[in-house]
Amino acid sequence: MERSEVRRLYLLAAFLVCAYALPFVVGAWAGTVRFDERWLANLATVVIAGVMQGGVYAMFAVGLTLIFGVMRIINAAHGEMVMLGAYLTWVCFFYLGVDPLLSIVLTLPVAFLFGLAMQKLLLDAVVGQPELTGLLITFGLGLVMIYTVELVFTTDFRTIPYAPGTVQLTSTIAVGQNRVISFVMALVITAAVYVFLQQSRLGKAVRATAVNAEVAMVCGINVRRVYLLTTGLAVALAAAGGALVSIQFGFNPETGVVYTLQAFAIIILGGRGNYVGALIGGLMLAVLENLVSLMVPNGTAMVELASYGLMIFVLLIRPAGLMGLRED
Amino acid sequence: MGRHEHARNLALLGALGLALGFLPPMLSVYLRSFALFTMMYVVLALSWNIISGFTGYTSFGHVAFYGIGAYACAILVTDYGWPWLPTLAVGALVAAVAAVALGYPVLRLKGPYFAIAMLGAAEGTRVVATVWDGLTHGGLGISLPSAETSLPTYYAMLALMVVTIAVTYAIGHSRFGVRLNAIREDEVAAEALGIDTTLYKLAAFTLSGVFPAVAGGIQAYKVLYIDPPSVFFVQITIAMALMSMLGGKGTVIGPIVGAVILYTVQELTWVNFPTAHLIAYGLFIVLVARFMPRGLVGFAIDRGWARKGMVH
Repeated sequence: MERSEVRRLYLLAAFLVCAYALPFVVGAWAGTVRFDERWLANLATVVIAGVMQGGVYAMFAVGLTLIFGVMRIINAAHGEMVMLGAYLTWVCFFYLGVDPLLSIVLTLPVAFLFGLAMQKLLLDAVVGQPELTGLLITFGLGLVMIYTVELVFTTDFRTIPYAPGTVQLTSTIAVGQNRVISFVMALVITAAVYVFLQQSRLGKAVRATAVNAEVAMVCGINVRRVYLLTTGLAVALAAAGGALVSIQFGFNPETGVVYTLQAFAIIILGGRGNYVGALIGGLMLAVLENLVSLMVPNGTAMVELASYGLMIFVLLIRPAGLMGLRED
Repeated sequence: MGRHEHARNLALLGALGLALGFLPPMLSVYLRSFALFTMMYVVLALSWNIISGFTGYTSFGHVAFYGIGAYACAILVTDYGWPWLPTLAVGALVAAVAAVALGYPVLRLKGPYFAIAMLGAAEGTRVVATVWDGLTHGGLGISLPSAETSLPTYYAMLALMVVTIAVTYAIGHSRFGVRLNAIREDEVAAEALGIDTTLYKLAAFTLSGVFPAVAGGIQAYKVLYIDPPSVFFVQITIAMALMSMLGGKGTVIGPIVGAVILYTVQELTWVNFPTAHLIAYGLFIVLVARFMPRGLVGFAIDRGWARKGMVH
């Protein structure tokens, strides 16, 4: 590694330390930080909840990083795919009476097919074009999805009551059962996709295409098929993320936008196209968000600001993020 | 292009300005405001085009400047009792300072990273406008003192549009514009030829931020109410990009044509399909980006209807 690279990594690390310290400083100044036992228990609860949430974030961010890594397309409709997954789960739960976790078996193939169609009809024409084309096309698709869902389901917030109990870790620290279940499911699915990408022939083809599409083509990889598979997988991951989000938080057709921006922040932090990076980025972002909402006054707006700030500063310090390759 | 053609184009612009200047008494209130917003989108699309069309840096957060201008106007008029026109200059100045401060670090990013960073910056500005109650009245928004503003705002927007078109035209036909194009085509080569790319990008970015700020100020005085979600609305950025793309980005005439067509289409669908107009709009975006990435101008050039130089 070059020296300037090492310096940038140190700078990034220093920035992240500051970013995590900031909510504590603001909290101390605003008087929300008290180092008594109850507050420490709160802190521990929040951090654990953040880790659980981060697993789910990581899962749908992995989908975004796949598309971005393989095709250099920023999928501005990614959050809408998450939203779609949530609504599919909701429909399965309320109309068919299927358990939300079981319904993933139903929603994933639907989402995969949706991804194939999206690739065939829209994205195939965009690969290799200036980034604006892909951004606009996916943004337009997102609008169509939001307002179609709104037409069918209205803007009401929906929730799925599922596993409302809590898991007591100690006498003072507890986590919601639904969060633990989501976290475990997210880890299992993410790990399965990871093993697929690392071990299988097709997965290796995907990674090769991400590194260099032209060379991959020369080596006899059917790049168009890899693109199809990538988008299918990415949409399926997003929809699975939606299923897991739907049992924890309320959602309406317009919640997708927030998830898109979070996923952007995560893949920037983790590094473009880097699978493990997206995982780490997801955990880090969720923990930071929870710290901010615990300690900083005016929490909900500030949570958003935290993820935008993180994204921009990481971009400025090291565009390749924590794990990504340097890019020229 | 010879001096003769420049003179002709300048005369055309003057004629357009004059014609639009004599129009208001003949228009209904609705049509007058329709004309005003069409002109506003011409300004927005042309400004976006300076950084993203000429220079090739796709800004996905240009609405930030528009919002800054709108807030500068609303705050100064409501809380400090300023007359309206000078607030536009303040808005432009604040936007210029913001553009330099933001552009200096962010313009080092390439391609999609620049786009994402700008998106984050615009959303971040919106959150700041929501949280900073002391200055911006927070999420409640600002109601300006009511007044009959439809005529002054019309003329202000007309003047702004004529200036923006003239400036973009001048850029498009100057060495400055050629250098911006060089940066778009190959930044490393441009640098090697001795172009101070940082300076040129920053100048283009600042110029492209100033006009939207003034437009935002005029719009605030026209509508008389602003709040963070409405003036930092992502879809305004999308509209700028889409209009430029529809007409043909990187040209002078393209964004103008695109803005007029798209705003008219938007208004018509909104009137005729109140529930489904956003679905139709989304579909329209998809279709334009999918089938016409080079826009109407590119379409015309491909078919030999227009010479390449003519449309610039």
